Amino acid sequence: MLKEVTQEEFRQEADKGLVLADFFSTTCGPCKMLAFVLNDVDKACGDKVTIMKIDFDKNKELVEEYGVSGYPTLILLKDGVEKKRMTGLQQKPALIKMIEEEA
Amino acid sequence: MSDKISYSFSESLIKRQAEAEKQMLAEWKSGSYTLEEPLIKLNPYLINPLAAVVLFTTEEETAVTVTVYGKEERGNIVHTFPRAREHVLPILGLYPDCENRVELRAYEGRSREITIKTEPLSKDAPKLCYMKTEPEYTSQDLIFVTPSLNALATGFDYRGDVRWHLTVPVVFDLKRLKNGNFLIGTERVLQMPYYMSGLYEMTMAGKVVKEYSIPGGYHHDQWEMENGDILVLSEDPDYVTVEDVIVLLDRETGKVKKRWDLKDCLTPGEGPSGGYTDRDWFHNNALWYDKNTDSITLSGRHTDSLINIDYETGKLNWILGDPETWPEERLKYFFKPVGGGDFDWPYEQHACLVTPNGDVMCFDNGHYRSKIREKFRLNKDNFSRGVLYRINRENMTIEQLWQYGKERGEEFFSSYIGNVEYYGEGHYLVHSGGIQYYGEHASEKPAALMKDDPNVRAESITVEVLNDKVIMEMKIEGNFYRAEKLPLYHDQENLPLGEGIRLGEMGVTPEFDTLIPMEPCGELLPYRYEAQIIEEDDRFTFKAIFEGGQLVMLMLENEEEEHGYFISTAKNKFNALCCGTFIENDPRSITLSVNKAGLKGTFDVRVIVDDKKFDTGIQITC
Repeated sequence: MLKEVTQEEFRQEADKGLVLADFFSTTCGPCKMLAFVLNDVDKACGDKVTIMKIDFDKNKELVEEYGVSGYPTLILLKDGVEKKRMTGLQQKPALIKMIEEEA
Repeated sequence: MSDKISYSFSESLIKRQAEAEKQMLAEWKSGSYTLEEPLIKLNPYLINPLAAVVLFTTEEETAVTVTVYGKEERGNIVHTFPRAREHVLPILGLYPDCENRVELRAYEGRSREITIKTEPLSKDAPKLCYMKTEPEYTSQDLIFVTPSLNALATGFDYRGDVRWHLTVPVVFDLKRLKNGNFLIGTERVLQMPYYMSGLYEMTMAGKVVKEYSIPGGYHHDQWEMENGDILVLSEDPDYVTVEDVIVLLDRETGKVKKRWDLKDCLTPGEGPSGGYTDRDWFHNNALWYDKNTDSITLSGRHTDSLINIDYETGKLNWILGDPETWPEERLKYFFKPVGGGDFDWPYEQHACLVTPNGDVMCFDNGHYRSKIREKFRLNKDNFSRGVLYRINRENMTIEQLWQYGKERGEEFFSSYIGNVEYYGEGHYLVHSGGIQYYGEHASEKPAALMKDDPNVRAESITVEVLNDKVIMEMKIEGNFYRAEKLPLYHDQENLPLGEGIRLGEMGVTPEFDTLIPMEPCGELLPYRYEAQIIEEDDRFTFKAIFEGGQLVMLMLENEEEEHGYFISTAKNKFNALCCGTFIENDPRSITLSVNKAGLKGTFDVRVIVDDKKFDTGIQITC
């Protein structure tokens, strides 16, 4: 499943299984491209992971809480615990590999 | 209104030079040129305006001595060519904007003085601030500098006069080969900011004898092995990480014979320097093969260390650097300082070398001068130096034997480039190539990103030291990656004739796996993007200007296939600019190079910008 969430919504669901948090900005070209990549990732393994998109500029508390310093930043959480982190635009195979290693 | 964006085809340098040489030789053969009335061709290879070729025939075989007269006798450049009847002689070391006097003297025979008029150099020639030398400093050697910013590769004589200059931005290390030619990075950018297509083997007249193209490209440094093969700093062609691969090229075929990936002996993220990034985790800026230990020494700027690996196995032998922040299991590879004195580790260093007795030298940039963020030193309070260490691999100790530059403080501080050269015990060159001031003090930001700022002052200081006495010091405006002292002529073939050879391949340009589902909008890419395509026989390059944050993807499309290449419009795309030569003044500029290898057919070039897919009106056939 892929959805854009607020920090409140994220906190409610972050500890439920495998969650991929995408800290993005609407002012960032690589973030826009990553949205297409995440759509593909969702199609490939949406049953294993919930992808939550978080607007970096609108959710500053969450950004600080997770120590996110730039965008795009991807954080993979398992039952609320951070397992992996990637910064910058990523390709689909790398993301699927990361998810499957933790699924 | 045109129905396509700007387009041009650029013939390879080798092809253009071959055509020019063919015409020159045809003109010579069609005339009766003698020593008294030779054919003179200035800049015959199109890229060295301070070189000429003189062509003539003598009735008997004879050696000919060429003297390029200096502004004073000490500045004469003299070379004797071997016996021949047909003479095709490169004339090197001409002064710019000058009626140069050149003597041609046959062995035990007559002589002829000719005049060769040269043009002034362009604004991209570096400007000398000063040159100080001792009287015994030889005129036959030039100090060659290679670009890091806008200025071009240039050679200065003992007076600081320019005697050699190339008009194409060939970059990184200029290293002479055993056959007298030199190797230098091409001007063909494979990936920004400075990953080049490969190397040119070039003569001092500027003729490209061989062009080596390399999958993953070339950056920073290269090394000729005893059998002529070439070690080259390269990277994975997918560029997920960069500056962490070394390849061995077959000298005759250009094919990759052996490959070392530094991720096999180190783990990215270990012992990071202040400039570390996940992608550019090692930042390999130098290599040196030592046949005594059959090992390669490498300079990892983003680990603040030199490392040594076994040539055969690639296994890590030692690490020379500050062990702070490295993981426990690596500490056995580090040396322990002995001997006291003014010992210091190198930080974000460049240009390692191993002396004949096994000592290790480098240019210690000193950038940050700590591995701990809280202890980072500002550039204005810092220093750079050439440094010589003696290492003992048995008991893993290290002693600092010599240094030059610390005493000069920020005046000699180069945050990002520089080199040392070893000429013998006590005889060294130290080149602080990246001095950058912002106002009164050393700049804390790279000048390549502030090219138009009037407060930026970029300088380069090169010092030659003999037994702790400075025998040459040169200061020039601009930043220069490395400096090398070399004579122009050598005792082998100074000008091999015939078309240069192109070897190797650049490989397939990585595509983006995910494509953006979108139909063409039927409109031409708007002129405000200032888009242009430059096609070459083996690739094409797309240049344009986009606003930060725009979604941009270049597409190659025909009825059967589509290929997508993502273009980042992120701000601060580059953070380690050892060579800012190809960075445009406009930070919105983008450059994407796509190799034809791996593509077959004719493709429409289209560009997605945010929510529209535009036509360019250009087709590329691969």
